[in-house]
Parts: sequence; C-alpha cells; structure tokens
Amino acid sequence: MIRPYFSSAWAVAWRYLHNLYTKPAVFIPSLLFPLFFLAAFAGGLSVVGKAPGFGYYDFTAFQFCFVLIQASTLAGVFAGFSIAADFEQGMGRRMMLATIHRSSIVVGFAIGAASRLLLTWVVVTGVALLGGMSVAGSGINLAGMFSLALLGNIAALLFSAGIALRFRSLQAGPLMQMPVFIILFLAPVYVPQNLLTGWIEPAASVNPVTALLNAARSLMAGEPTGLLAAYGVAAGMILVMAVWAIKGLRSAETAG
Amino acid sequence: MSNKGAGSKENGIEVEGLVREFKNGPRAVDGIDLVVEPGEIYGFLGPNGAGKSTTVHMLTTLLPPTAGSARVAGLDVATQGPQVREVIGAALQEAALDPHLTAREHMKLQTSLHGMDRAERHQRGEELIERVGLTEAAERRVGDFSGGMKRRLDLALALVHRPRVLFLDEPTTGLDPQSRASLWSEVTRLSSEDGVTVFLTTQYLEEADQLANRVGIIDDGRIAAEGTPAELKAAIGRPSVEVTPSDGARIADAQGILADFGAPVPASGETIGIRLNAGIDGLVGIVRAFDTADIELASLVLNEPTLDDVFLAKTGHHLEGASESESAEMPLPETQNSRA
Ligand SMILES: Nc1ncnc2c1ncn2[C@@H]1O[C@H](COP(=O)(O)OP(=O)(O)OP(=O)(O)O)[C@@H](O)[C@H]1O
Ligand SMILES: [Mg+2]
Repeated sequence: MIRPYFSSAWAVAWRYLHNLYTKPAVFIPSLLFPLFFLAAFAGGLSVVGKAPGFGYYDFTAFQFCFVLIQASTLAGVFAGFSIAADFEQGMGRRMMLATIHRSSIVVGFAIGAASRLLLTWVVVTGVALLGGMSVAGSGINLAGMFSLALLGNIAALLFSAGIALRFRSLQAGPLMQMPVFIILFLAPVYVPQNLLTGWIEPAASVNPVTALLNAARSLMAGEPTGLLAAYGVAAGMILVMAVWAIKGLRSAETAG
Repeated sequence: MSNKGAGSKENGIEVEGLVREFKNGPRAVDGIDLVVEPGEIYGFLGPNGAGKSTTVHMLTTLLPPTAGSARVAGLDVATQGPQVREVIGAALQEAALDPHLTAREHMKLQTSLHGMDRAERHQRGEELIERVGLTEAAERRVGDFSGGMKRRLDLALALVHRPRVLFLDEPTTGLDPQSRASLWSEVTRLSSEDGVTVFLTTQYLEEADQLANRVGIIDDGRIAAEGTPAELKAAIGRPSVEVTPSDGARIADAQGILADFGAPVPASGETIGIRLNAGIDGLVGIVRAFDTADIELASLVLNEPTLDDVFLAKTGHHLEGASESESAEMPLPETQNSRA
C-alpha cells in the first residue's frame, strides 16, 4: 500500500525533473529569475540598508532571505504550471488511470518541485555568498531558514495544484502566479516590518509571508524570533492548501 | 501486484442503466445495459459522438456516471475506483504520450506509476517493447514516432501490470492495414491465450465483425442492438442474391424465376436482386432453375448482410464513413437529428 503509493509519486516526480533537465530553455530562465532579484535588490538598493532604524546586520543577507522565500514559493507555482499542462495535454489522464491512489500525483509533483528547489537554493546562495553576503546564523539556524522556505514551497505548490486541477489548462497560469506574487510583495520586502508605513503596514502585518520572512531573517542573523508563529503559519497554510488541492483533484476526477 | 483482485474472480463487465450527462451538454450516454463475459472481445460499434469514449471513461473510472452502475471484474467503478484501476488497462482514443520521453522512458514511467517492483519493471518493459515491435525505436523520443508506433506503445503501456480487463478506444483509427492486422492479432492473442477481457470501441464494421466475439451497436447514447456478428446479421435478414443474365433479352425470364425464391431488392442495370426467402439454402434451387430454363448467367453474387445493414435496420441510418463503397448514398443523420 505505502510502497506502491510512493512508487507512483516518484514516477511523477521523476518525469517532472527529467523534463526540466531535458528542456533547459524552460529551466534556466526560472533559475535566473531569483538571481536577477537578488542583484537588483541587494546591489541597486543597498543604500536602503543604511537608512536609520534599519537595524539588520547585512543588507545582502536581508534581501537574500526574501529572494529565497520568493524563489521557493515560485518554484511551487512552476510545478503547478506543469500539472495544468499535463491535464491539458492528456498525460493527466494517464496518471489518473495508472495511479491507484491519485493524491500520489500531487505528492509526486511536490517531491519534484522540492528537488528542483535544491538546485535553485545552491545557485542563489552561492551567488549571494560570492556577492559578499555574510552569514551570521549557525548551521541549525540556517537549516531552520531553509526549512521555512521549503514549507513556503509546499504551500505554494498545493495552492497552484488546486488551481491547475480545477482549470486543467495552462490558461490558468496567471491565476496561480498573480496571488503568490501579490502576497510576496505585500510582505516587508525592502525594509524591516517596523519601517513600513501607509497601507502596506496593516497588509504586511496580516500577511502570512511576513511571518515566514521575519523568522527567516532572524535565523539568518542568528537571533531567532517568531519561530513558533512562522512554523504555525506555515503548517496552517499547508493544511488549508492541502484541502484545496485535494478538492481540486476531486474536481478533476468528476470532470473526466 | 495482486492479480487476484478484491471481491471477485470474474473478469467480466456488467453495466446497468449507465447514464452520463454533461453540464450544458448532451446526454452522451443514455441508459446503457451490457454484459461482457470474461475473456471475451466485446466490440462497441458506433459513429462519431455516439458515446463510446464517454462509456469507456466511465468504465475506467475516469468519469463518474450520472446514473446507473457498472462493475468491472466484479468491482464497482463508482465506489471501488482504486481496486478497479489495479486490474484494468486502457489505451484511450488520444494516446497520451509525452513527446519528450523515449519509449523506454515511458515504460519506466508507467511501471512505476503502477507501483511495480524495480526488478519486474525493467523485465516487463523490455518484454512489451519487443512484443509490440519497438525494440529498434526504444531509445527514440516519442515525439518523432509515427501514429502507428504511438498506438503500439500505448497498447504496450496499457499491458504493463498484466490487466485482466483491457479497454481500447478506437485502437486502429488512422492505422495502415498492416498495423491494423498486427494489432488485431495481438488483441486476439491477449483474449485467447491470456484470458484478458477486451472492451474495444470502433467505427469500423470490419473490425467489429472480424475481431469481436460480440458486438454492441451504440447510437446516440443508446445500445441499438447486441449480439455476435452472425446473430446480428441473421436477425435482420437473409442474404441477398444478384444475378446478371448473359443475354440481356432474358432478363424478364430471369426475374420470373427469381420471384419464386425471394422478394426483389434494388439492383442496377442488367442485374436483378432478390432477398432469399429460405436463406442460403435457396441458392441451390436458383442455380438448378436457371439451368433448367437454359438461361446462361454472366454472374451470380451472394451478398451476406453486413453489420452496416444491421446498423441501418436498427438505427435508420448508415454508420458514417463505414460503407466506403456506398458513400454516395449515405444520408446525413447527424444534421437531421440535431435539427429535430
Ligand atoms: N467533456 C464533455 N463535455 C460536454 N460534452 C461532451 C464531453 N465529452 C463528450 N461530450 C459529448 O458527448 C457525446 C458523446 O461523445 P463521445 O466522445 O463519447 O463519442 P464517441 O462515440 O467516442 O465519438 P468518436 O467516435 O468521435 O470518438 C458527443 O456529443 C460529445 O460532444
Ligand atoms: Mg471517442
């Protein structure tokens, strides 16, 4: 029961990764994307880091945490695109027919997305380090930071999967991407939360990404705060999005 | 991989009152009853839009029925989906293949999706690739495959987990005669040697006639007739005979003789046709009578009823595209229906 389930999930993940690897035209841009953000924020905006009251030890590290969360959640969205494409082009049916328990399809894409994420992390972290980022947190702190990014990835994947399975068309792409983009940028992207003013301040304070981002930055700085809130929010999002994705799967099942 | 399945040793299919209604769409399947015996090849014959694929999707757990019930290998398709999927294989109308993967990679994907053991996976994959004649092409990307190669790969993929019931949705549409023949022999082998039950849809009369043990004729979501090809033909009528006298002047005499053996049917030119009263036994009498009357014949043709005759008799129209030779007199039932 368990073994065939993961065999199915692994098959889905394997194909996802295999196709990424054989289609560099799709894969490379998605890798360059976070690097572009890193360069634009950490390089172009570094003067922001010198503003009074900024209070973070390293501006590149500050921006790196955002880019890490951003790249990780978007990796989940990209996997959602693949789900939509598969259901549009018929492979979805093959998977629905051949897997005994169909949730293994979503789990497979999640495994694929997380594996792909590993490479993104290596590249983005490597580039940030080469760019002079200093790391203050311990190994455990960093593991915590990356685990938060992974949880963000899973939540975004489940969200996108829910959309992909309901619409079963790549045309639903913006529906997956836009909300994630908006919620990312309604977090304290450029400055710490206490420096936010105007309408974005209340938006950021209720934004679940804010909790993730603040905790990730605190871990990077080696002064962990708000971890309980961050993991709690992450677990809550994953739970809600898992229900959303499974309901999407049911909708794909009834539509044929 | 358990080949025993849950609940029943039966490999058959039982369908009762099966209905599928699409949202804002037609009643694609409108109350179908059918039984497919274990190990049988069942041909589901019908024109475009008859509801063949919709039926297959319901029987393969891809689509929930709106009403009615269906059991495949003794398992309910609506409530026992996972168990049904363990024992069935399906090659759908549009073979869903990934153009970026090779044939061998498809095998790897399919065997893993089915949760097969690693050791068994490789062996089974190679065996099937060979059986469908794709060994040479195993490392090529499927995007470069011909239509026939894709169909063969799709069939091989449907067989990886040794299904007890196999669904083939128009498996030979678009294939050349040679590929069609080899697919037919593989399907026959699966049924006769491995005891696999085959549910096959087709638009080809010939395919239903030659390949299927039993045929269900579906039109407009309903089963119009069901039986072995021979039964179906026998039920609608007796064979007809067409006779052409060598001497055109003796046509009237020939007509007189034939009138004793059956009712006239339309025929062209110098040819006279009748439907035999006594079935094929009448033929001997006809030959004797012509001999006695000293009428020489240029030709004598016996026409068995075809499944298209059955189709016409049961539905009031020909199977579209089926009667290649008679396409000129084909009515356009679809447009007539939709205007009604
Ligand atoms: N998803 C769907 N939504 C709405 N209508 C549908 C859907 N799928 C099929 N139909 C309709 O149901 C009817 C039966 O379609 P189906 O595909 O079962 O026919 P078919 O016998 O397989 O035809 P073909 O030989 O062309 O494959 C058609 O009128 C079709 O337009
Ligand atoms: Mg069809």
